Amino acid sequence: MSETEGKAQATKENAVSLRLAIGPLVGPVLCRVVSMVLARADWPLDRLDDALLICDAIAAHAPAHANDGRLAFTVTSDSRGLELQVGALAEHGARALVADATLPGVGNVLEQMSHELHVVAGEDEPTEKLVLTLSRD
Amino acid sequence: MMPGPTTPNMELALPARAENIAIVRHAFGALGEALAIDEEVVSDIRLAVTEACTNVVVHAYPDDQEGPLEVLATLTDDELTVLVRDEGPGIVPRPDSPGLGLGLPLIASLTEGMQLGHGEDGRTEVCMIFSLTGSAVAGEPTAPGDAFAAPDLP
Repeated sequence: MSETEGKAQATKENAVSLRLAIGPLVGPVLCRVVSMVLARADWPLDRLDDALLICDAIAAHAPAHANDGRLAFTVTSDSRGLELQVGALAEHGARALVADATLPGVGNVLEQMSHELHVVAGEDEPTEKLVLTLSRD
Repeated sequence: MMPGPTTPNMELALPARAENIAIVRHAFGALGEALAIDEEVVSDIRLAVTEACTNVVVHAYPDDQEGPLEVLATLTDDELTVLVRDEGPGIVPRPDSPGLGLGLPLIASLTEGMQLGHGEDGRTEVCMIFSLTGSAVAGEPTAPGDAFAAPDLP
């Protein structure tokens, strides 16, 4: 993980970067921040609900795959959709996180709810970042 | 150098825009709920943090430029330390200030301690300490030489 990735960094676009110590804050804060970003972008309620389900799944399973006891999220939304980056995950952690988010009788929550999902390898260290996109419509 | 926390429990970084202040407020609301902090204390925290963030949005950057707003929250025993920082020039007298000058006194009244200054990297910082066991006494800033001595309180 590079130094830049290790800190919550604001980007040029109106992205929200969030870095949380693993613990009781991860789920509530992530869900609240994502819901605020989407409400501001005037998302329909059913899609906002889908996004929060994704956040709940990530909050439940990502801590087990975190690289350094902290999780970094970057939330970006526009008129077309939401992009949520989750890092820095340990090597193979991104795929393990996706695999963990499977509910009996429902299937894989992240794969089903996301429009697109891919893994980005860390630049300097053997870490990974999970990038999910969710379309607005 | 400001007495900054080293390992924040929560860090937010976002463009210093008015619409982003609500995101910071809600993040602290979630923090309060998650940690079962007294509602009145959470209300004080949210108000003080909102004031500090508003100062960044209004004063930190020239009208035609945009810069970052960073908020760091660190929990220690019965205290919450919140650092709000930006890459602006710092708190300086501003005769054309659009505000009423109540922001910093309000923050001082809501916190156990407050300091204004610059971090190691030169960024402007407002450091606020909140007691999680009770509210600060309104109107009594506990850190000498801070809010009420600051010039042109935004």
